[in-house]
Amino acid sequence: MSNAAVGTVYEHIINEVINAVRVDFEENGVDDSVLEELKKGWQHKLSQLNIAQFPWDPKPEAPPPAQATQNTSSAVNAQAAATQQPTANYTQSTLSPQTAAQSPSLPGGQPNGNGVAIKSEPGMANEPTIKQEPGTMQPMMHPAYPGNNAARGGMAAQRAAQAIANRYGSQAQASINAIHQQTQQPQIPGQAPPPPLQQQQQQQQQQFSPQQQYQQTVAAQMQQRIPQQPGQPGQPQPPNQQNGLGGAQVDGSSDGFDGVMMRRDADGNPVEMGRVEIDNLLHAQLLERAKQREGGGLMLPLKEATKQRSNATKSRRAAAAGGPNQLDGNDEDDDEFDEDAINSDLDDPEDERDDDDEEDEASGWIMLCLYDKVQRVKNKWKCTLKDGVLTVNGKEYVFHKANGEYEW
Amino acid sequence: MAANGNTNYYDLYRHGSLGSTLTDALDDLIGAERIDPQLAMKVLMQFDRVITEALSEKVKARLTFKGSLDTYRFCDEVWTFLIKNVTFKMDGGQSVVTADKVKIVSCSAKRSDEK
Repeated sequence: MSNAAVGTVYEHIINEVINAVRVDFEENGVDDSVLEELKKGWQHKLSQLNIAQFPWDPKPEAPPPAQATQNTSSAVNAQAAATQQPTANYTQSTLSPQTAAQSPSLPGGQPNGNGVAIKSEPGMANEPTIKQEPGTMQPMMHPAYPGNNAARGGMAAQRAAQAIANRYGSQAQASINAIHQQTQQPQIPGQAPPPPLQQQQQQQQQQFSPQQQYQQTVAAQMQQRIPQQPGQPGQPQPPNQQNGLGGAQVDGSSDGFDGVMMRRDADGNPVEMGRVEIDNLLHAQLLERAKQREGGGLMLPLKEATKQRSNATKSRRAAAAGGPNQLDGNDEDDDEFDEDAINSDLDDPEDERDDDDEEDEASGWIMLCLYDKVQRVKNKWKCTLKDGVLTVNGKEYVFHKANGEYEW
Repeated sequence: MAANGNTNYYDLYRHGSLGSTLTDALDDLIGAERIDPQLAMKVLMQFDRVITEALSEKVKARLTFKGSLDTYRFCDEVWTFLIKNVTFKMDGGQSVVTADKVKIVSCSAKRSDEK
């Protein structure tokens, strides 16, 4: 049966392609391991389709269940696996529904939604997500940020503060002071975290304006005002205490709302970001990345691609409308343009094709082949096809020659 | 569905499962900025060549099918058929597969032979 041939033929094709592009990879200075990743990722995705049994599969059913349990077990683990072992990169896209499901909890209660996904295990969660940062193209991130993972721990903030002091001297004093004030503020139980967050956002948005000096003083004042908020007994908050153990704790003195990370605004002024803010930012970026990945496929039908993209844009706009997600202002716009630029180029060929192709391809009943002859007598058609791939009823077949007869 | 300008292989097969999974895998690498899109395009072009050759050289299976033609289209040397109630017979009728409908996208065999 030709279905049995699919495995070997496809393996042959994969090996041929991989070997054929090895030179190109070398010429582009891309490491051989990336090529291996490509091969593994390719094979894995193919196995997931479950269209035939492939030689590289230990068992026909093995990969998909493993994938499913990985996804359901925990978003963090899946994320970590995806990053650490790029053969599992598909988890990025399959992950997205889950991440999307968490997103509603974002605006309201950070302790719930975010806390589970990212905060609870700084060593596990922060490292992979932060490592992804180079891919997310966030020019506004402080350069030192990628190093701020669990391994370096508390050193990072001190270094950041030093770096700021060195580079900006007294100008940055206000910000540095602000960090300390912020980190030393008494812990706010219960619903307290959101107000400082919002204040910080306001402050950030204000700092985007050109009047740097003035805004910095304003920011500092706002920082000082935070402790004066009502209902702030000096009792530490249990959840955050746990968090303090992680590598993200930088000041050592308090478990409060920490200024963990600095980043530069449009004018190059350092702006401190609290942990909740960072969590939100990372989370938002993860969401964006997942969506982008789904929607940015080279071969994705244009309809779906635009659908995904518009969803992404919608959520971005919703975030920009004042939710706690909006943290980085103008930068998002750049991202959006980039996406569009990449997608539009690659989607164009798709555009020329028929619309109903997409539906049929999506449903998976399609035959791609070459034709030798197509003949018609009245309403009877005969055609001779060759070198084809047929996907039907979830199985794939290859054929060298095919004869078809059908009536219109 | 034109052939690639410099290689003369169809990119038709990129729309099959093998091609789409390759594209996905490449997308992942591009998304992670491990490779750049130009390199990915080179990979896809190699794929066009390899799968075309492999299908013509490695595959011997034959197939016949019957059904009722719902839609046909011939544009830019590409035949597109939408056939309903199809019956595929493989290996001389030993195995039969039926489907409600199948879409056939078919490029001219002559042009790819020219190379």
